[in-house]
Parts: sequence; C-alpha cells; structure tokens
Amino acid sequence: MRSQSVGWLFLAPTLLILFVFGVWPFVYVTVISFFHWNSFAADPTMRFAGLGNYRELVFDKGFLMALWNTLKFGVFAVVSQIILGYLLAQLFMKDFPFKGFFRTIHTLPLMIAPVAVGATWRLMTVPGLGPIPYYLDKWFGYEFLISRYVGQAFLTTVVMDIWHWTPLVTLTLLAALSSMPKEPFEQAQIDGANRVQTFWYVTLPMLKPAILSAVFIRLMDAMRTVDEVWMLTGGGPGAATRYIGLYIWRVVFPKTDYGYGSAMSLITLYLTIVLCWLLYAGLVARRDLRKPE
Amino acid sequence: MSGLKRMMLGAIAAGLMAGVAPAKADFWADAGKDLAGTTIRGVSESTPPSNYVKDVLAPAFTKATGINVEFEATSWDQMYDKAIKDMEANTGIYDFVYIEQDAVYGYLARDFLVDLTKFFEENPKLKAPDYDPANFTTFANYFKGKDGDLFGVPMEAFIKVYLYRKDLFEDPEVKAAFKAKYNRDLAPAKTHAEYTEIADFFTQWGKDKGIELWGTTVQANTGHPSSWYEYVETVAPTFGVYNWGIDAANNYAATVEHGGKMNSPEAKAALEYWLALLKNAPPESTASTWDEVAATFGAGRAAQGLVYGENAAWIATDANKSKVVGKVGVALPPVEPGVMEAAEAGTGYIGYYDGGAFGIPHSSKNKAAAALFLEYIAQPSVQADWAVAGSRITLQGTYDDPKVKAQDAKTDGYYTLMRDQGKLFAGAPPYPFHNQLRETVAPIFYQAITGELSASDALDQMAAASEAELTKLGYRK
Repeated sequence: MRSQSVGWLFLAPTLLILFVFGVWPFVYVTVISFFHWNSFAADPTMRFAGLGNYRELVFDKGFLMALWNTLKFGVFAVVSQIILGYLLAQLFMKDFPFKGFFRTIHTLPLMIAPVAVGATWRLMTVPGLGPIPYYLDKWFGYEFLISRYVGQAFLTTVVMDIWHWTPLVTLTLLAALSSMPKEPFEQAQIDGANRVQTFWYVTLPMLKPAILSAVFIRLMDAMRTVDEVWMLTGGGPGAATRYIGLYIWRVVFPKTDYGYGSAMSLITLYLTIVLCWLLYAGLVARRDLRKPE
Repeated sequence: MSGLKRMMLGAIAAGLMAGVAPAKADFWADAGKDLAGTTIRGVSESTPPSNYVKDVLAPAFTKATGINVEFEATSWDQMYDKAIKDMEANTGIYDFVYIEQDAVYGYLARDFLVDLTKFFEENPKLKAPDYDPANFTTFANYFKGKDGDLFGVPMEAFIKVYLYRKDLFEDPEVKAAFKAKYNRDLAPAKTHAEYTEIADFFTQWGKDKGIELWGTTVQANTGHPSSWYEYVETVAPTFGVYNWGIDAANNYAATVEHGGKMNSPEAKAALEYWLALLKNAPPESTASTWDEVAATFGAGRAAQGLVYGENAAWIATDANKSKVVGKVGVALPPVEPGVMEAAEAGTGYIGYYDGGAFGIPHSSKNKAAAALFLEYIAQPSVQADWAVAGSRITLQGTYDDPKVKAQDAKTDGYYTLMRDQGKLFAGAPPYPFHNQLRETVAPIFYQAITGELSASDALDQMAAASEAELTKLGYRK
C-alpha cells in the first residue's frame, strides 16, 4: 500500500503536466468544437451549435482541398524520405574517406528550427535574389517562380521537407542496419540469393519495425506541418500549399473562428490516427494474421 | 556694452531660461517620479515610423521619465496575432498596442481599448502641457468613438502614392522614344490606359537596354493578404468601387444581385487591369508584400508603382538603402473618368489613407505609464525628425517645420501632396469584421493571380463567399 502511494507521488508531477498540457486542452477544444464562437461576430458570445461545425466541414471546399494537399504532401515527402534515408544509411554502412565528417554534415538540417529552414529556403527561392531561380534561368533557361506556379511551389515544399527530415530517417535506419546480425546475410549468400533477393527477403523484413517507426513519425509530422511552409510560401500560390495545419491556423487566429477551428483540429487528429491505424493494419497486422500458427 | 551689463543681461536670460525650459522638462520628470523603474511593453508592426519610436523616442522617453519601454516591432501578421490574443485573454502583456486604422472598428466593437479622453480627464496630473488632441490632423477622427472620444494616439499617417522614376521620365532619349511610339509626351499617368502604356514601354526599354528594369511594381503576393489589400484599397477605388464593393447600408450586400459592387463590371475591369500589369512587373511581384514593393522600387527595378507613403522618405533620400535617391517623382494614382470628380466632391476616394495609432488595452497593468508614453510621442517637438525619418505626419503643425519642408523638397513634394490632396484618399471602411472577411475571400483572390480563376469568376466567388461569411457572422440578415 505504502509503495503504491510513493509510486503515485513520483508520478504526480508527470500526470499533472500531462493533464494541464494534454488532457485539459483536448477536452477544452472538444467542448468548443460544439459551439459557434467568433469574437468578432455580431454576437461574440459562445452559442451552442451541436454538430453544426462538423457538418460545415464536410462542405468546406477549402478544408477538403487543404486535406487533399496535405495527404499528397505527406505521401510524396515520406516515401521520398524513406527511400533516400535507406540509400544514405546503406552508404554510411560502408567505409569511405571522411565518412564521419559527411555523416555529421548530413545530420545538420535536423538541428535547424523549422521556421529557420523555411526562411532559408525562401531566401534561396525568391526571384531576383535567390540562387535557385537565378541558376535555373541562367543554365537551363527555366523560369522558377514558386510564388506563381502551383506545381513548383508544391514540389519545393516537398523537397524542403525531404532536405530537413531525411537525416532522421537515415539515422533511424542506420541504427537498425548496424544492429542486424550477420548470420542471415551469410546464410542467404550460401543459399545463392542475389542482391535483390537478399534485400527483399532478408534486409527489408528485418528493417520493417524501423521503417514503420520512421513512417509513423514522419507522417504525423507531415500532417501538422505549419512553420516551414508558412515561411516559404504562406500557403500559396493560391491554395497550392495551404496544408491543413496552415488552414486551421488561419481559421483560428486571423479569422478568430474558434468553434469551427476546434472542430477542424479534432477531425484532423482523428484522420491522422485513422491513417496510422490503416497503415499499421495494412503493413503489420495483416502480415501477423497470415503467419502460420 | 559694459562687462557688468553683459553679466546682468546674461543672468536675466539664464533666469528666464531656467524659468521656462525646465517647466517642460520637469513635467516628464515629475510625472515619471512615482513610475520610474516601471517597464511598459508595446507591440507594433515593423515599419519605418515604428522603428523610429523603438530606436529614438522610446529611449528618449526612458531618459526623461525613468520608465522603461520594451518595444516589440514585428511582422504585420504577428503584431495582430499578439495584440488580439493579449487583449482577448486579458493577460496584460502589452501596455500599448498598435491599432491599424482598419482594425480600430473591431477593437472598439470588442471594447478592447481605454478611452483616452476620459482617462486624461480623470487623471489631470498625467496630462502633459504639450499634449493637445486638437493638434492632430483629421486622421485622428478614425480613432474616435461614437461620442467623439479618442481611443488611440495617431503615430503614423500616410497615403499610398504613385511613385515614378523622375530621372527616366525626364531623360531626353526616353522621352523621344516614348513620343515616337505613343505619339504623346511621357508624363505620370492620369488614367489606367496611360499607366499601362508607360508600363509596357519601360518593360520593353529594360529588355532592349539589357537592364533589370520593369514597367511597374505590383503588390501581388499569392499567399499574403497584402495583394488583396492592393486591389480593394488602392486599385478598385480608382475604378469607382469603394468599401471593398460592400454596401453596408444595404444589409452588407456584396453581390450585384443583392445591391453590392464586389463583382460589378467596374470591379471586374479593375481586377483585369491590375492582373494585366503583372506581365510588366518584376518576377518578385507575386512574392511581394508592401515591404517588398518598396524594396523593388528602391532597388531601381521598376519605373513606376503604387507605394505606401511611409517608404517615400527612405526611397527618395536614404542612399544606404535606396538606389534611386534624388530620382523619385510623386503623383496621384491614375483613375477612371469621373472618379477624381467624385473624390473631390467627397462622394468617393482615389486611394488608401493608411496609418495607425497606439492605444492602451484595458488589460494593461501600467496604464498611467503607457499614457505618459503616448503623450510623449504626440509632442509637437518630436514630430519633425520623426516625419523626416518615416514620411508620416499626424500633427497639422508638422507640415510647416523647416526640416519637413526640406525633406519635402527632396521627396518631390510628397508631404505637400499629402497635406493638400490627402482629402482625396480614405481609410478602410468601418467594418468590425475586417480580418474575418479578408481571410474568407483572399484565398479565392490568390487563385485569380495564379490564373487558376479568371478575374470575373474570382470576383463572383468572392462576392458570394463574402455574403455567406457575413451571414455566418451575423452582420447580414
């Protein structure tokens, strides 16, 4: 009995922090999502809306477009990061001159705050000043103008995210590769497996937990991307890079539509959980089900 | 004059000086006596006038009163965000906030601000001898409540003017080429057709000469509301579309169908004209807010443009920042036929009279110290240098100061234009739902800039979205 009390005592600060910064805001947002509340409306008080805010979401073209853009952004960025991260991890498994130096350099983007990454990329891409549009025009005669061309803007946000976060995937996969036993690979070599077969039947299954961890972390991050993109494009041109985080920010802060923004936040959280669950179910649970008893 | 007489006169003069000069100095020291050591915090947009307050006036105020000032000059978006959140949550972080002219109606509707007229009536000891609201220009009227009380001390006021490269416009070679091409003399445009011709001409001139010169600036950022502001506040009024095309007296109608003008033929002509200018604008235009437009003009990359007047002084005079010092001409914006007459008759306007004030939130914990600071920056004695640095004028008497007159000559008469023609310009309409409506329609507007929507479709959608949002907000019944 006494040991339980001591345990709760030690847990109390953590639980308190969790409640204040996690549970209470979640409950608060949930409650607000059922109200119409805009402090600059003719009636600035909270008025019960029932499911009104949620119903509005379904017909909100801006929200649906932001959701679709975010999904595209997430898929392009995360898939690219996994592939590049794996290739870089394999590269760092080999010995080559200045390997330590390159490994350090390659992890530097991880140490930069997202807002600084966005600002840096903005400076690199701004016409008339940035080196990227300048050299693309000079060498290839290509007009690079992310403030005008929708496709270029979307692609640049994806590339920026890849540049920023691939090192995280690399380090995760490098750790997994380093801890792999040699025996299965030697066995595959003895059995005459070629490189593709070794990758597919030995490396990939053993890497799967690390890959899934990286996918989940990066996908959740991609779903809540705000600061980098905010600095680079402000969500433009048009609505091309208005990802869901940015859209919610605009609704909640400049537009001060707290009820609707809260509903949007909750639905986005729900969709992120569903997406991760679907991935888990598709990639892990199904395989486990197929395993022979 | 004997030595004795000189000494006596000197003593009398010193006595008079001692009797007069310290009277003013003493007020700040006396008023600050009980407040010395207090720290007041303020937030404002980072603009030339605000930066002058931060760098010059705030330290001088601290020296005079012992009251410390923490002045946060940040981006426009952040300024709003921080100020509104603070006032809404009643946290009292800020003791004075920047009130942009277009935001004041929302702030008054929410009762965020202290009534300064009443505050000084109730605290006569805090009333500085130099502070007199009667000194303000009529711009101060924007910051008055229904009963005429003042809720903000104007700190900047300027018009969005037509700047042009005087050196190019007066270059004989350029003039001859223009005349040969258009069969008329090159002069600042009076109409939109002339403006477009000049823009076409200089863009081609830049190409032919192999120089980085384009025909016009365009504030056409595709992810920032500044582009929408350029259209509704600067371009649409010159086509006779006022107050964003919304008829407040007619149940806030925006669509032509319901009596509004947001998607009227005039509005569509205005947007088509403005979008067509993009082909004559530097490539950075679709990434340009108000700041970048000024930077583009200051870098000598555009022959003409509509630029916020707060930048006129540094563009025309500061060689450390501008490449066009001494080469800047100032004029009124081009308009459609009939619009100038309407503005002169007081039934319309030709552009934006922008500016802002500092107000004290009810949530402030240091109202007395903040009030002293607002009085300090409203003193006539600090106005001239501030006007020279930030091309802003809020006191009528500032126009006559020799320093301002000298600067006026260097800026091709910008200050005179503001004084004499300021009446042709107007601030934003008195809508308390400013940000809410802007955030609703701006995303549609950006799609017109990128070409995803035509000007006509964009305005139709914007007008419909405006009415829907105003209905949701409860203003439109």
